[in-house]
Amino acid sequence: MIPRYQKIVFVVLLVVSIAMGAILVRLRERAHEQLLKGEDLAPTVAPAVAPEVQATLMVANDTDGTLLSEAHSLPLPKDAEARARALLEKLLEIYAGAEAMHPVPGTARGVLQVFLLPEPESGKGKGGQLAVVNLAGAFADGHPSGILTESLTVESICGTLHANLPQIAEVRFLVDGEPRATLAGHADLTRTYLTGDLVTAGPAGGPDGGNSAGDAGKP
Amino acid sequence: MTAISQHSRLRSLCLLSAVGWVAAGMGCVGSAQAPVGQKAIGPRFVVVLDAAHGGDDGGGQVGGSVAEKTVTLALSVRLRSLLAARGFAVVTTREGNVALADDARAQIANHATFGAGSSACVSLHASQAGTGVHIFVSSLAPSAATRFLAWKTAQSAYVSRSLKLAGTINSAFEHSSAGGDGDSGDSNAGPIPATLGRASLPGVDSMTCPAVSIEVAPLRGEDRKVTTEVTDPQYQTQVVGALAAALLEWKTDSEAEPHSGAGRLP
Repeated sequence: MIPRYQKIVFVVLLVVSIAMGAILVRLRERAHEQLLKGEDLAPTVAPAVAPEVQATLMVANDTDGTLLSEAHSLPLPKDAEARARALLEKLLEIYAGAEAMHPVPGTARGVLQVFLLPEPESGKGKGGQLAVVNLAGAFADGHPSGILTESLTVESICGTLHANLPQIAEVRFLVDGEPRATLAGHADLTRTYLTGDLVTAGPAGGPDGGNSAGDAGKP
Repeated sequence: MTAISQHSRLRSLCLLSAVGWVAAGMGCVGSAQAPVGQKAIGPRFVVVLDAAHGGDDGGGQVGGSVAEKTVTLALSVRLRSLLAARGFAVVTTREGNVALADDARAQIANHATFGAGSSACVSLHASQAGTGVHIFVSSLAPSAATRFLAWKTAQSAYVSRSLKLAGTINSAFEHSSAGGDGDSGDSNAGPIPATLGRASLPGVDSMTCPAVSIEVAPLRGEDRKVTTEVTDPQYQTQVVGALAAALLEWKTDSEAEPHSGAGRLP
């Protein structure tokens, strides 16, 4: 037989628990609403306007399978990682254009991050850096499928990084922070691409002079 | 006595299995069996046709709504027929809509070309991007042949031969025409534009034979609009005709250089 006072305590605790649960749910909803409102608000601190500098973008052309060097004046941050990301965002913006020679559907943010790390093989590298490019899953999923188009995207990313940050000797790719076998079914994303052997412009020419960024790549 | 007999039998079994492992290791990098119905290995010229994708992996979309796997299979079947009619020994990685891992494709190619006098491995792809035919050779740096090759970079020992094969195929496309070597067509179309390049492709990088990847793209006019889709049967016939002509030339060249070891370790 359960004493009467225990029953009362149990009921009171049950009611309090339910009330606390309801309050927590309501607080969570309010926090979420505030977060969403916050995204629409203008920034309270004005962004620092970086001076425009000359940047070289290696722009791909599907018609003849080449990379063409293009000079652009861009406001680039001083931080090397942020600068690399800004350069790649600009490159992908060109590819998303209506008249692009290497059309790739645009996404809100195709490059999530670029990390610059010391080159693993320090003996060879002489202070070189390894760039780890973290692509957005939406960008990779929406990328056209094909050896040429995927290879050109990879090569133009490697070439653009090397042209503006010459210390970058190797490039690796992640998609949404995870290793991925291929970009869209063809170009191998599991390997390290070497930027040093990139032929900057001109037709692919002969098989001996391919324009691949990974001509001497490592598995 | 019985115990000794059992012991010696056991030892024989162990020896046999050990010999098997060593033979597999020495034989080739991949040790997959060729698909049922395909012929045994012999000292001859072998062509391996790899129709990319298949099964759940449809590849890209070409010609509007056709899966890449369908086009690559159609090209493979056409090319196989054309080559077989010319007396080639042809091994295909797939004959239907089946899924195959990249490693399995390389294993089939390596198994089929092991011991062959000379060989050519052709991986067939299709894409809506670009124009004409894109010929790709592995972007691995050429390396000296060794007895044992690392699986992921086995192609590096064959890159020099693969580049020559790509050059032969490029030349064939430069001289191709709709009625050229194919079995059809009375079109006035000119040569198919071909682009040469280097790319890292997981399956091809593991092949121990002169290997190229052929990506067939639509033909485009000067305004970059598509004039001939990849799915066009006459276009496919022209592509296949040029490839057959190139492989015939490659075979002739290989036979003319009996000690070149076109299909063996260079």
